[in-house]
Amino acid sequence: MSQMTQQRLTIVKPAAERTSSPAGTLVLIGVNHTTAPIEVRERLSLSASRLPDAVRTLTQQPGVRECLIVSTCNRVEFLTWQDPEYGGGNSNLLRFLHQYYAIPANSVEPHLYEFRDREAIRHLFRVASSLDSMVVGEPQILGQVKEAYTCAREAGTVAGYLDPLLQRAFSVAKRVRSETQIGSSSVSIASVAVELARKIFGSLQGKTVLLVGAGKMSDLAARHLLQQGATSILVANRTQERAALIAGQISDQVSAQIAANPNALGCSVEVVAFEQLYQEAARADIVVTSTGAQAHIFHRAHGQAFMERRRNRPMFFIDIAVPRDVDPAINEVEGCFVYDIDDLQQVAAAHLADRSRESMAAEKIVAAELDKYQEHLEIREAVPAIVTLQQNAEAVRQAELARAAKRLGELTPEQQSAIDALTKSLTAKLLHPQIVDLRKKSEER
Amino acid sequence: MTLLWLRLAVLLYGVAALAVLPAALYNRPRWSQFAVPAAVGAAGLHFVSLAEMLNAAHRRMPVEAHEVQSVLALILALLFLAVYWRYRSVSLGIFVLPIVFLMAVLAAFRPGQESFSQPVHTGWVILHIVLLLAAYGGLIVSLLASVLYLIQERRLKTKRSRLHRLPVIDMPLETIDQIALKTLLFGLPCMTGGLLIGALMAQADYGVRYFADPKILLTFGLWIAYVASIFIRRSSGLRGRRAVYLSSLVVLVVLFVWAANQFSVVHKFPTP
Repeated sequence: MSQMTQQRLTIVKPAAERTSSPAGTLVLIGVNHTTAPIEVRERLSLSASRLPDAVRTLTQQPGVRECLIVSTCNRVEFLTWQDPEYGGGNSNLLRFLHQYYAIPANSVEPHLYEFRDREAIRHLFRVASSLDSMVVGEPQILGQVKEAYTCAREAGTVAGYLDPLLQRAFSVAKRVRSETQIGSSSVSIASVAVELARKIFGSLQGKTVLLVGAGKMSDLAARHLLQQGATSILVANRTQERAALIAGQISDQVSAQIAANPNALGCSVEVVAFEQLYQEAARADIVVTSTGAQAHIFHRAHGQAFMERRRNRPMFFIDIAVPRDVDPAINEVEGCFVYDIDDLQQVAAAHLADRSRESMAAEKIVAAELDKYQEHLEIREAVPAIVTLQQNAEAVRQAELARAAKRLGELTPEQQSAIDALTKSLTAKLLHPQIVDLRKKSEER
Repeated sequence: MTLLWLRLAVLLYGVAALAVLPAALYNRPRWSQFAVPAAVGAAGLHFVSLAEMLNAAHRRMPVEAHEVQSVLALILALLFLAVYWRYRSVSLGIFVLPIVFLMAVLAAFRPGQESFSQPVHTGWVILHIVLLLAAYGGLIVSLLASVLYLIQERRLKTKRSRLHRLPVIDMPLETIDQIALKTLLFGLPCMTGGLLIGALMAQADYGVRYFADPKILLTFGLWIAYVASIFIRRSSGLRGRRAVYLSSLVVLVVLFVWAANQFSVVHKFPTP
């Protein structure tokens, strides 16, 4: 998150910098992972069931015409479109926070940031594009903003101003995702392991995974591999009961997957006796180890034996244990690939750095889209005044034509048509400088 | 006009060979939108150029060195497109397209002078030549896929060196291995058919004398090497470095067979 663009509530922009339109002011206040500790965020957090009531309550605040609340584990933001007569202040929002959450304002205020008009639009575009996320490029935030939008729309708190703005934010996020590589690489250990497995095997369908030991990370990696289509899981543990327990948990997950999606592929889960580990391991394409053993479980000779039995089909060792379970020398065996926890973390860090580089390109897209949207707004603001001017001029023209018709007497259709064209042309020419002036003023504003 | 089409094809092959690099190495899929249409356009123009050239020469078979080169380049380009169509990856183009480009450049800017005057059964000879060139194309693509496998394998094994910073090829190892094996399997019936047709024609025209020729003996040796390479790959699951050695050996035999044209008495194209 770029701190440059973020301002705390206590910092108020000079009036000259404000770009609010005469039709209203866009005000966004909120907290996120960079400005507020978890204790503050969880107090402001709103579950999906409470969100409709919250947006309705917020829209009842004086001056608030439209509103939307985005509430995720890392941020809670209140986006409002307010009456210009109200002055576009934030006291109504602060009052809402105080009343709705029943918390003292001074406990939240120091952590709040505030954006207005152009900067609020920029912030919204950045949030939807995942540029403001804790893990830049993570895909969930766009879905969360969309959910917030759906909720606000159903509650009737999003209309003529916020609706097109949010639609634009979604299209900006889509553009960022398709034109940059911001979300293309994995940054968590488990997803890096899956990504590496895919680089070796392509599709994981039909692949066998062997879990050796019972660590949280290995369980997570196995779940990721299952989601990617691995169809056979072998579980080995020094304690047979523990292995059976893990196998049971995985079976439950598979059942839940099938219940949620009847087209999901089934998966066989099998407990392997630890004494049979070396005989059974050759069946596995992917071996995930996380035992508490003090010495290596798999040595180079094992790797060579596995390759012989597998007729050189690749084998991927994901060693999450510390001390390591897999001798790094196995990586030298042709067809064997060994990644320990440091290797996985290194890949994740490299991917994170890639995302940071890509975020610069994404920021440029956001800036360009912001300019385009601003231009669109300016034109939209000038339109009602121009239409009124044209309608008034037309009324005057019609009145003058009616008056002149009495004096001119009977006219042929050709003469009527010529006078009509002449007056229309005169009106258009007289209005032209004023219309240009209106557009210019709107742009300047 | 023929050369113009070929030179345009060369230009497009060049564009495709360059565009495939960011697409395959830097994970920039948008560049595939240039590489693939350019390769398709080039292959189309290449085919038109070949058809016009052979039509102008009043024969339908490629006999001159540059014509054979040109046909082989076209077959390689078509194999690349077939792999793209099947696997949706342009990675193989990193190697195949520059080779196609170079072969097409040689054919376009240094046309040969050889002529062909032997009485032959034209239709069968065309099939003989095309089938053998397809087999060679399959073999070359298989070798290049094996090299690609080796690079990707090294890249995945090397984790804490400068090599790690190199771009990753956007194709899984197993897919690359499948391409290497499948192209080899595609080449076998082509080579068998091409050799059988050639042998039957030679039997009819020259009798047993033909089969004592060193070039012909070497060609049958090539067939045995080809079959052996497939057998070894399938039975032992040979991959990586050893697969590259094996494919290179067979390609080396192919080069010997081509070179043996110079020493052959019955299978030699006379020059004017």
